[in-house]
This record gives sequence, structure tokens and C-alpha cells, in this order.
Amino acid sequence: MVDSHVRGVQVKENIKFTPSLSEQRHKFVLDFVRKHKPQKVADLGCANCKLLWRLKYHESIEVLAGLDIDENILTRNIYRLHTGAGDYLDPRERPLTITLYHGSVVEKDPCLLGFDLITCIELIEHLEAKELSQFPEVIFGFFSPTTVIISTPNSEFNPLFSGKTLFRHPDHKFEWDRTQFQSWALDAARHYGYSVEFTGLGEPPPGAEAVGFCTQIGVFVKTIPNTVKSLHDEKTIECAHTTVGTVIYPSLKEEKYLRKAVSNEVFSQILKMKRVLLESLKMKNDNDNSDELEFVKPKCDESKNDPTEEIPKPFCIENVFYVPLERLFSFPKIKHLCGDLETLKMLIANEVMLSSDGSSVMINTVDEEDCDLSDNDGDDLRFV
Amino acid sequence: MGGACRAGPGVECGCTERSYPPYVHPRGKGKEILGLDTFVRPSRGEQPGNGSSRGQQRQRQGRQAPEPAAALEVAPAPASTQARGGAEISAQPSATARAPTCAEILTRPAGRARAPAWARAAVPIRPPLAPAPASELVRHEEPRGAEGGAEVGASTFPEEEGQVSARLRELTQRKKQRGKQNIHDIGVNTRQNLRHFIECKRGTSGTVVQLKTNHFRLTALPQWALYQYHVNFNPQMDSKRLRSVLLDVHKQLLGKCYSFDGAILFLCHRLRNKVTEVFSQTHSGENVRITITLTNELLPNSPTCLQFYNIIFKRFLNTMNLVQIGRNFYDICNGAEDMRDLRFNICPGFITSILQYENDIMLCTDVSHKVVRKDTVLDLINDFQRSGRHTAREDILKEIRGQIVYTKHNNRTYRVDDIDWEQNPRSTFEKDGSDISFLNYYRQQYRAAITDLEQPVLVSLPKRKKGPDGRLKSPALLMPELCNLTGLTRSMRMNDRVTKNIANRTRLSPEKRYSELQKLVDNIHRNTDVQRELQEWGLDFDKQSLSLTARVLPVQKLNEDRRAMSICCTDWSKEIKRGQLSYPKPLNNWLLVFNYENERLAQILWEKLNITTRALGINLRPPLQCPVEDKIEEYLKVLEKNITPQTQIAVCLLPNNKKDKYDAIKKYLCVTHPVPSQCIVAETLNRPQILLSVVTRLALQMNCKIGGHLWKISMPLTDAMFVGIDCYHDTASGCESVAGFVASLDTSLTKWYSWCFLQKPGQEFLDGLMSCLETALGAWKKNNKQCPLPKFIFVYRDGVGDGQLQTMVDYEVPQILRCLNSHPNYSYKLVVIVVKKRLNARFFVEKNGRLENPSAGTVIDVEVTRPEWYDFFIISQSVRVGTVMPTHYNVIFDNTDLTPDQIQCLTYKLCYMYYNWTGVIRVPAPCQYAHKLAFLVGQSIRKNPHKALSDSLYYL
Repeated sequence: MVDSHVRGVQVKENIKFTPSLSEQRHKFVLDFVRKHKPQKVADLGCANCKLLWRLKYHESIEVLAGLDIDENILTRNIYRLHTGAGDYLDPRERPLTITLYHGSVVEKDPCLLGFDLITCIELIEHLEAKELSQFPEVIFGFFSPTTVIISTPNSEFNPLFSGKTLFRHPDHKFEWDRTQFQSWALDAARHYGYSVEFTGLGEPPPGAEAVGFCTQIGVFVKTIPNTVKSLHDEKTIECAHTTVGTVIYPSLKEEKYLRKAVSNEVFSQILKMKRVLLESLKMKNDNDNSDELEFVKPKCDESKNDPTEEIPKPFCIENVFYVPLERLFSFPKIKHLCGDLETLKMLIANEVMLSSDGSSVMINTVDEEDCDLSDNDGDDLRFV
Repeated sequence: MGGACRAGPGVECGCTERSYPPYVHPRGKGKEILGLDTFVRPSRGEQPGNGSSRGQQRQRQGRQAPEPAAALEVAPAPASTQARGGAEISAQPSATARAPTCAEILTRPAGRARAPAWARAAVPIRPPLAPAPASELVRHEEPRGAEGGAEVGASTFPEEEGQVSARLRELTQRKKQRGKQNIHDIGVNTRQNLRHFIECKRGTSGTVVQLKTNHFRLTALPQWALYQYHVNFNPQMDSKRLRSVLLDVHKQLLGKCYSFDGAILFLCHRLRNKVTEVFSQTHSGENVRITITLTNELLPNSPTCLQFYNIIFKRFLNTMNLVQIGRNFYDICNGAEDMRDLRFNICPGFITSILQYENDIMLCTDVSHKVVRKDTVLDLINDFQRSGRHTAREDILKEIRGQIVYTKHNNRTYRVDDIDWEQNPRSTFEKDGSDISFLNYYRQQYRAAITDLEQPVLVSLPKRKKGPDGRLKSPALLMPELCNLTGLTRSMRMNDRVTKNIANRTRLSPEKRYSELQKLVDNIHRNTDVQRELQEWGLDFDKQSLSLTARVLPVQKLNEDRRAMSICCTDWSKEIKRGQLSYPKPLNNWLLVFNYENERLAQILWEKLNITTRALGINLRPPLQCPVEDKIEEYLKVLEKNITPQTQIAVCLLPNNKKDKYDAIKKYLCVTHPVPSQCIVAETLNRPQILLSVVTRLALQMNCKIGGHLWKISMPLTDAMFVGIDCYHDTASGCESVAGFVASLDTSLTKWYSWCFLQKPGQEFLDGLMSCLETALGAWKKNNKQCPLPKFIFVYRDGVGDGQLQTMVDYEVPQILRCLNSHPNYSYKLVVIVVKKRLNARFFVEKNGRLENPSAGTVIDVEVTRPEWYDFFIISQSVRVGTVMPTHYNVIFDNTDLTPDQIQCLTYKLCYMYYNWTGVIRVPAPCQYAHKLAFLVGQSIRKNPHKALSDSLYYL
């Protein structure tokens, strides 16, 4: 029947999608995550971990899990998820833990309980009939995440491919047409208290619109919230999956990283202000040769068009440059990091010198360079 | 030399030994002032050439983030790639189906097996007793996974395509295609042709001393081996994943500890039969016959195994929370030291490699530091643009071209090659068939926010022009805002405060360094994950570092003929001031050029010179004084007017260290109007406390430039010519590379013939070697009437990059031989030695319960040498601060009957003869001369100097 639709359509040798279909599927998930901001996300059948890798950049996610039946492929690819220098230099705002599990998707393991989103991208068609029959019970009934995304090939599209194989991949156990998938999905949704919407990726070529998308997708959203009790009961079940690896990312939720981030930002702002001050002093000195170091109002860019007029300005007494904490706190990034002035003070107390009343950061306008120089001279003398 | 030579910046005087301060590089502007020809004293007792922390630091940095300084002999990335490209090292495909890649080895299930029952005491891995046949050695593959492999990948970072194994396979293929980067020169067997050293390359002279090293033995269970199997599926299974699932069913047969990439299987035990057949069933019920055939048994020291060790070790470091940057691993999480007001972090880390050494396979590890800056490229661009100068764009490019930037969103590093000012974050590029702006791309792909929409785009050219599929790779385009600077920029390197701070943090005492290394190895032994994995594979590391027996050669005597004061120490800076020089040249006819403002200073200079030269035994006549306006043309005009054929030297007292002025003067006096010259920056003379000492050095330097002999040494060989060769590369500006060639003309090593030749940018190996040697032989003939051709020729070749040894053997040595053979009936004796200064090997001696640097003259020729080479280490310099860096010598050609003792001793003696430093230096004097020559020509002259200068040391 499908054939009759397709006949007459000029089908090119090979249908290719740009971006590739797998890329589109990833993008679909990423867009979904961007929109709904889940905190705990699991990818079942994560294979080369590419989707997880792309998910880790999403600030909203705090827990990522990957599950695959092939342990080899996980050990081979876990490197994608490792932390790098950048993750320490510029930590995430929220914590992130990524765990890879080795096991079957139809095993009830408490480690996947309580997730906001579980994705099964091109997974179900790899399941044996028996596994497939257990699948809804495990995913929807047991794991019972808030949302589930399931994608699978649309067999109606297959005649458009030039290849002669029955399925798109030798390991596929079946490929469904839209009716089959939708009835399976609706069944499962109804049974476990989910609503489901269908969509797809990979537009058919002109003329063959009737076959539908190349990949069909079902997005399931839970309609009945979990009861605390049901979750609790299930926790007692034994773990079935083995952990292949866990990667914990540093985050600003840890004080040592927060402290560092704040003091970095504070220092960078102070140095900027100091430079502006020194430049303006120099300019002034060039203009009138007065030796007197009088305070010159630093030209802080921010102070010009100004809601910040009332915020105390940095000032200079002799060779010491004072930057009021309030001024520092007015920088959006610092404000964002600290939340309130007291926290700021607490975080930077050990990193900088505070004025005696604790209201300003003090810094020398004269670099220590000169002192170093004389040291060195002395040293040189000894040897010469 | 930045901070180091504060004592006498500006004088071109003495001692340049430290040829390449890691941070402050006398390059660009800083040159003359801080160092131009100059060098005074390495501050705080750090010795010339010893490089310890600074050298070392530079080295580390140089490897990964090429900085200008590195250009000296390490060609920074681009150059080295180029150079290496040519250095085809015959990597014959191994006899088996295909060389297994490391990743394949590693793709094994992370099982939790105990060590097999037959595991008993671990034993060191020994190489086969007889030296491996050449063919075998040549086949060696480098353990690139661990070290070299990292090049392609800072690569283990997640990236769009490719798994490690795919990348490695691609690498292997590429290696076959275009020569590999064999950074450890593994398998280049130069010893096999040196018949008299095949048996023994150890010397015996000197006092025996016990040293500790930074090498840790790798041990394996008895009869340990890696078994390589080929796995065949019938019917054929296309999916790799499916294949591994099918095989995984047979865990019982294979054990937990195996690795399988879809075709090749590695086991650390042997299956009962050579061919094993098993059956699996696919999900669809299809029966599959799996045939497992033994194809190879890999000995513990086989190249594949070495590769394997390096890879697992790299993984251990990862496990221990060290982060890979470039090839090395750094403790960014906890160890980073925040240099707040300098806006960077210094992270301690380790450089590691596992290699086959003389008797054992050992882990060699050293402490390394990495500067990670907090500023992004955008910060730097903004700083420059604020200055509002119209040259801002060029200045920015100059500052960051060649810099390595780190992109934290994907944890990769790139080299900046250009800036595209036409583009900005809103510009688009094609991805997956549609256009996307940088802004959107980074937001979608990495959730990275770009705030400045006016910034330009950085361009990073790919290291290899073609991808694995043969298609041209396009350059990487980067957003300045997302690129963190690594390493130091030129201006930072010239900033004393920066360099001093870094030196203080990174220069470790021997005691401290050793304890850091020990800590790493302790951690390996304490970490349960690492231990478990080691046990699974039946491997282990020694807990204690290797100790070995070395010898200390006696301190050599200088000036033994009693004409001058005899010297017997390793630093004679004080002695030289009290005694007479060996054979100084009277200075009768010289120019003193200065600008009008410095008239008084010129007067002082002349007076002081007068005093110091008297003490040194130099006759000095008053100079012809030439005051001049401070303009380049004026300087040249006055030089042209006043230089006569009798002029011995032109001394220029410059008010500042402008590089163009210095370059112009040097160029004029080296090319157009050949006269030795000496530049001094006024500032140098402005410090009364050290003035006398500065002037003394100046007098010494001037005297050797005009051909005076400061001291001499008696060489046990007469009629021997010692040649030094070094290269200078300036890849950033794409200028020609310069090779310096210096040859001794007399027995007491006081006269030298110097020549250089320019060649294609970044080229390490020398094309003009034949003609250089030919002219040097001509000069020898003129100087040695009784012996028109030297009986012995020693060539010390410095500046050989990692992985270029084979090129030396295949290309340079034949050139030398061809030249010598062209002389009829000439029965020469030739020794060619490759000199390497940048090493990871370290040695410590225990004195009074503390670890200290071994004393000058220590020779190491056992254990940590390589079985396939005739090589040894000498620590010739004495070092007061930091850890001493030994120098490695590898004799790649020798048709003499000299014993190892003799060659070691001659080499050591040569280190005394560098006239620009009153002490022993790290490398033989001809190498340092060649280096100075190449540096001057490459930096300032960019042309072949005039022939008339070739018999003086004008370039010091």
C-alpha cells in the first residue's frame, strides 16, 4: 500500500538529510531540554555518549545518566564526558554529575528513579519482542519520569531508500509504521498515566509527503504525579546496573570554587579601575607639572549614565587605592555570584586587604616591582 | 635576559650562556637592552646553560605552547611539523595484518578480575639479551598514545567525531603516509653500526658516585606477554558494536581482561589453541561462528606494549584528577596557584613517558608547570585597542600570533595564526548545509554566551592540511572571547615581575622536585582504582626511583702552560679578574660611538675600560670618539665615515634598546662593512655599584670578538677539529631559518671558524652542510700548515628536534662523509654527536641527608641510556639554584678507536671553552657559539654575514 503512494515519485539514488538525521534527533532533544529545563536527564541506549556530551553544556541539568547494554562502548566513550581544565577554571553554576551504567533497559534499577526526562533515541527497535513487552512497565511504570522522548524509524519511509535490506540496520528487530508506533505509544501512555504527542524528523521528498517523517517521535508527559510512597517503596529494589564511571563536575555551589570565581572577578574589576585611575593621574601630571598627588575622580565608565550615582566611588589616599565593596557589588556579575554584600565580604576576606572599617578593598597603586628591583640589585652585588 | 641579567643588562659582555631564557626572551625590542649580545650574570646563582627551572619551564612550555624562545632550537609547532614531515622514519608496517593501535588495546571491558593465579612476584621487564636486529627495531612504533598522540589530540577532548580508536587508526595511517612524529626517536638504532660499542659503552674514569634518578621501573609478572588475536565472524557482521556484543558472550573464555576493537583482540593470557572457534547467537537467532586466531605474541618491550603502557598510564593520571593540557597532565583542580594581580594561574603537573631504557622499561617523569591565564584573547584585544594607536591591529597580531589558546567549552587548544577583522560573531559559516552565525553556533552547541558582538575572529590553521579522508581541512575559526591565553605573550616575557614570579614558583630545588615525583608515584600506589587496573593487567611500578652509579670527572685545568694564571674550578669569574688572560689582543684602533646625551657616560666607560683592561693584561689605546645624534641613519653615517681597514671594533653606546636600531647597526657592521661590534645600552652603565664588574665583562667580550684568547685548555688530541652546529627558527614571522656552523682551528680551542647558512623556514636539517665543512677545512688548512687536514673531526650537532634522529643519520651524516671523501687519500676519523638539552631526565645526589644537584663533570652512561644508542649524559655545569638539567649526547657516527672515556672527557673539556661565560656551560662551546651565531643572524641580520668576519667571534 505504501508502495502505491511512492510510485511515480522520482526518488533520488540516496536520500540524505542535512543536517544528518541523527544530528536532527539530538537537536530535537536539546531544544526540548532548553525549553523545559529538566534537572535530571537520562539517555537510554546512550552508545557513544554524544547526546550526553551535548547535554552536559546545559546549565539546567544537574544529573545526567547514560545506560547501555554494551559495556565496551561505554568505557570507550566515557572520555567524552570527562572534566577538562576549563571546567575547573570556569566552573558551572550548578553541580553536575554524570554516571554511565551498564545494563539492560528492561531491568528495574532504582538509579534511574526520579528523573525529569528520559530519552530513548532509536532504541526500541533494537529490543527483542520479550524485552519490548516489558519496556513500558519499566520505563513508564517503574522509572516513571516526568517526560519521555522515544524515537524510532518510520517504516513507511523505507521504500524511499534505495537499499534493499529489510530494515535500516541489521540489529533492528522491527520497524514500525506510524499506526503501529502510535497505537503502542497510546496504549502505554494510557496505561501508565501519560499523555503523548507525536511528531517526527526528516521530511519526505516532494511528492511522497504521505509517508510521513523518516523518524517518528513520541513525547510522553506524565499526567499523574508520583506519590512519595510509591517512589519510596521502589527504592528497596536491588540495583541491576553496574556503574561504568561517574564524572563529577566542579561547580560554584562548592565554596572553594565560588570563592575563587568571586575573587577573580573582584580583582579584575579593581585592576581595571586602578588602571583607569593611574592613566588619568598620569595625564594630569603631564598637563600640569604639579607634584601633588591629588585625587582625580576615576573615569569609571559605568558611572556615566548613571543609576549608580549614589554608589560610593573608588578613591585614592596617598598610594592606596580604595574600592568600596558597594561599588564592587554593583557589578552585575559579582552581584549575581554573591547575592548579598555580606557574602561578598565573607568570600573575599581572605583574598584581599580590607580597610579598617571593612567597607573597602585596599590596594597599592605602586607596584611592588620597585622593591623587587632593589632586592635583585643586592643579590647581584653579592656575586659581582 | 630579563630579570636574570639585571646585573649588566646591556653589556654585550660575557657569558651568554643562557641562551634562551625561557620567559624573557631577548627578542624583539628587549633585545639589546636586556640582552642583546648580552648577558651578564644569571641572577641568584643560576648558571648559564643550566636552565634548570627556567630552561625547563621554557621547555615545557615550548613543547606545548610554542613561544618565541622556543624557536631557538625547538621549532614551535608549525615548524616542527614541517620539519618532521620530511623526517620520514621508516615505519614499516608490521608483519601482521596491521599495527594495532593503542586505543584498541584499551577498548576492553572494565572488568574487575583479580590477577591471575599464576601471578607471583613482579619482575622488571627485560629486553631480549641480544640487541634486537635492526629490522625489528625499525618497526618499533612510538608509544604515541601517551605522549605524541596527545598532539593530535589535546585530543582526548570530546569532539564532534571520532572515537579515540578511530583517531588513532587514522593516525597510524597518516604515519604511514607522511612519516610519523616519533618524538622519542624510538627504533632509530644508531648503535648497530658502531661496532666497538655494541658490547660496551661505559666509561670507567672519574670518581664513582651514587645518584638517584626520576625513573621508575615498570615491572610485570613473569612470562608476561600480550597476545594479539584476529577475530573473524561468519557470517560476516557489519556492525562493530554487534561484533563486540557477540564476542562478549565468551567472557569465560577470554577473561575479564581483554580488549577488542571489532577485529583485533588483545589478551594478557594465551588461549589453549592457536585457533579457537566459538559460536554466538544474534538476537534474531542467527548462529555466528567466531574464529579467534593467534597472530602475534607481543613481548613486554615490544612497541605495541610500550604504546599500551603509556596509554594506561595516561588513564591513571586522569583517574588521579590531573587534567591533560597538551601532552602533559596538570593539577588544575587543587594545585593551581593563583597569581592574582598577574592574572594567571600556575598549575603544577607532570610530564611522563614510558620507554625502553638500557635494561628495563621505565617510567620517566618530571615536574612541569603550566601558566594558564585568566584573560581571554578579547581582553587582550581590548587592552590594545584602548591605547587608540592606529597600529593597534598589527600590534595585536604581533602579540598573539603563534600563541596557543585554550577553549574551555570543548577543552581544546589551538594555535592562533591570524585574525580576521572582517568577521564578527554575527558572521556566518556553513554547518550541515545551512549557514549559522558564530553567535548561534556557540550558544546552541556549547551554551556559551558571546557578549561582545564587535570582536574579530581568530583563525587557526590545521596542523595537517588534509583530513583523514584526504579532503582539505579548513581553518578553525574561534571567538576571542571564548579563548583563554596560555603561556606568556612577548610583552609578559619581557616583564621582570612576571618572569621573576614564575621563576620563583617553578624553580624547584632538587629536594623539592624529588619529593614531588615521589608523591606522584606514591599516589599511584595508593589509588585503588589504579592499583586494581594494574593488577588486572599484571603490571606494577617500582615504589622507589632508580638509583644508579655515575662517575664524576675531575675538574679540568685551564691555562696549564703557565703563561697565564692557571685556573682549576668550574666558575672562574673571580679568578679571571685577578689574573692574566691567556693571549689577549691589544686594542689599538677602535671606535666609541655614542649619542650626544651620553657623552659623559662614554667618558666614564672609557676610563673604566682603561682600568679594567690593565688588570686583565690587555693593552688599550684611547678610542676614536664619535658623538652622534640618536638616529639610525646618523649612526650608520658616522660608522661609515670613521671605520678604516685597521678598525678592530666599533663600540656603540646606545641610549635605549630599540631593536630596529640595533638590527641596523649589526647588519651594517656584519654585512656591508665587516667589523666586529659591541653594543651597550646606556642603562647598563648607570649603576655605579656594579659598573666595574660590568665593564670587566665588557672588556672580556670585546677582546674575544677581536680575536683575543681569554683562556685555553689542553686537549689530549692534536689535529682535531671540533665542529658545532645549531639552528635558529623564527616561525612566527615566517623568516628563513638559520643554521650556525662553527669549527675550531687550533688544538687549544681558541680560534674558531664561523659560518652560517639560511634555509627554508622551520627546516631543521641542513642542506648547506657540505659547503660549510668544505670552507671550514679550507680555513683549517690556512691555520695548520703542518697538518693541512684535521686527523679527527668531531661534530656536535645541537638543535635536533624530537623525532629527527633518523634524518641526521640518513641525511646529514652522509653529507659530511661525502665532503670528507671528496678529498683524495684523506683518512679522516669522524665522530658525530647529537646534543640534546631539553630532557626529562633528572639526577640527584644525596649529601648530608639532603638531595642536591650532582657536581659538575658527572657522567651517566648506564641504566637510563637507550639500548639502541651509544649515548651518555654529562652534567657539565654547576648550578646553585634549581635543579640541574643534564645534557644528553648521542654518538651517531664514530669511526675512531676512541673509548667512551675519551669521548666523554673531550666533550666535557669542550664545555670549558665558551669565552662569553667565565665558567663551564651546559653544552660544548662550539654548540653555544653556533647557537649565538644563528641567533644573531636570524634575529637581526637575516643575511649571510661578510666572509671577512668568519674567523672571529663577532657574534657573541
